[in-house]
Amino acid sequence: MARRRRQRPGPFDYSRKLSLQMVFVLATIFLYAPIIVLIIFSFNDSRRGGNVIWRGFTTDYYVKAANNASLIEAFTNSLTIAVISTIFSVILGAITAVVLWRWRFPLKPGFEGLVALPIVIPEICLGVAVAVFFSYFGLYVPPGTPWPFNLTNIIIAHITFSFPFAAMVIRTRLQSFNREMEEAAKDLGATEFQVFRDVILPHLKPGLIAGGLLAFTLSLDDFVITFFTSGPDTVTFPVKVYSMVRFSVTPEINAASTVLILITLVLTAIAMRYQSFGDDRQ
Amino acid sequence: MTQTPIISIRNVTKRFGSFTALEDISIDIRPGEIFALLGPSGCGKSTLLRIIAGFETPTEGDILIDGKDMTEVPPNKRPVNMVFQSYAVFPHMSVADNVAYGLKMDKLPAAEIKTKVAEALKQVHLSEFSHRMPDQLSGGQRQRVALARALVKRPRVLLLDEPLSALDAKLRDAMRLELVKLQQTVGVSFIMVTHDQSEALAMADRIAVLDQGRLRQLADPVTLYRKPADAFVADFIGRVNLFEVTAHEPGSTTATVASLGEIALAAAAAYPEGEALVLAVRPEHIRLTAGEGPGVPATLGDVAFQGDSSIVEVTLADGRSVQVLEDAAESARLMQLDPGAIVTLEIDWTKAAILRRSAL
Repeated sequence: MARRRRQRPGPFDYSRKLSLQMVFVLATIFLYAPIIVLIIFSFNDSRRGGNVIWRGFTTDYYVKAANNASLIEAFTNSLTIAVISTIFSVILGAITAVVLWRWRFPLKPGFEGLVALPIVIPEICLGVAVAVFFSYFGLYVPPGTPWPFNLTNIIIAHITFSFPFAAMVIRTRLQSFNREMEEAAKDLGATEFQVFRDVILPHLKPGLIAGGLLAFTLSLDDFVITFFTSGPDTVTFPVKVYSMVRFSVTPEINAASTVLILITLVLTAIAMRYQSFGDDRQ
Repeated sequence: MTQTPIISIRNVTKRFGSFTALEDISIDIRPGEIFALLGPSGCGKSTLLRIIAGFETPTEGDILIDGKDMTEVPPNKRPVNMVFQSYAVFPHMSVADNVAYGLKMDKLPAAEIKTKVAEALKQVHLSEFSHRMPDQLSGGQRQRVALARALVKRPRVLLLDEPLSALDAKLRDAMRLELVKLQQTVGVSFIMVTHDQSEALAMADRIAVLDQGRLRQLADPVTLYRKPADAFVADFIGRVNLFEVTAHEPGSTTATVASLGEIALAAAAAYPEGEALVLAVRPEHIRLTAGEGPGVPATLGDVAFQGDSSIVEVTLADGRSVQVLEDAAESARLMQLDPGAIVTLEIDWTKAAILRRSAL
């Protein structure tokens, strides 16, 4: 019986090379260890001061976080801002993507660059710019405006930086659209609107979901730009966490963060599931 | 044979910037025929099909369908339907929904749509697949969805853009017959675009040969093969050996032909002196015999075996290669010979044709 000769592993055949396996393990540890530690210490029964020594298991801090009215308010604000700015980002992003894909017009390359600008500009500059813009033109929503209209400034700022990401993702999806599909629909009697509704939109669905998810997470964890546009009665979760951490890192923050991670994970899972359904595997 | 044309293409010219895709094309499509637009890639055949469908507007000229000017009518309002090269089956709709789409656009009652879809799917043998999604179908099945989707609208003319090019060779041959059968059942005129001359010859009732935006010849397949209008058509349709006529004059019974020398060619005398002519000889009109003899001497080259026949390549004294078609028995004898053996060509001069280099 001839012994099967083992093929030499290829350069990136990581499952068979010890060195690459080590790189893989280390990379995974560096990426996920902090998150895992965060989650573990949200159950730490530490009294006060630094939350660095394990003192026993408790879920008290989840209860405490849930009863912390200002934390819950910040949390609700963040979610509200994220949902509203995501809806607007996806709509604006889809319109931008379709316009850039569909039509030729003068200065199109310049327009494309402008759309991508918020992606490359340092966040701190955008934050200052948005703050200056609002105060210069007197566009700050006056204090005491009822919820959720007091969040308008933050929502506008979030749409500004997150819609280009949505536009990028949706545009990439459009690139794979077969123009004959559009012509076929027209040939069968569809109007421009019907073509968009029946053929282009279903093709775009995975892009819309992915773009929306991106906009949502960007909005949810944005600190810098929000910091410049939020007032005392419009605190978001990241801003609140920042102010809490300045006193001490309590397991309460860990607990709240864990809940946030969980929400993000669930949303991502849902989005990915939808995406694989909407995808045409041709 | 003066039926009223179902589609009239009248003096259509299409320019893209400085590039002329189509130049002064006039064609009438008859009811119930399979019409092929044939030509090499970039000849303008697809552009012409898209003009008929309404996706392009002609720079000059008109398109008439049933005598009505359609030049300004958008594609969704034209009584023609198209089968696209990529089939363009909607991936997010089931087979039945794909076929029903055009009827829904026409706002037909649901019950009528249902019966029509069922009927159309039966016609293309896809009844059992009505609930499948397109990604669960093979290429041939997807094409039949595209066919059913277009035919269910009862178009005046069905347009097919390279209908068989995306299929593998075996399926392609089967689909040729099936398409012709389908056309006979539904009785709708087909206009198909193809670059494959054998496809056009096998399927079409009439063929328009296009080259560089111009109509070279419009004829039935037999005429096209036997009486090509010029050297381009002869070369494009089937195999042919073209010899340049280097000297001829009116009234003379002979002419000088490249590689063959001065030969008896009375037909050349019909053309004015100086007109660029070629002598076209089909491979099946040449016989090969081993050894020397009366005829054109040559040396044997490759024998390309095709089963029932072979294409034999021979080289003339001046190095020019000539293709000869031989039947199975003869090619078996020739394959016994060494490559480079001396052979003699006997050309059937009654079948050889004198053609103008270009009819334009």
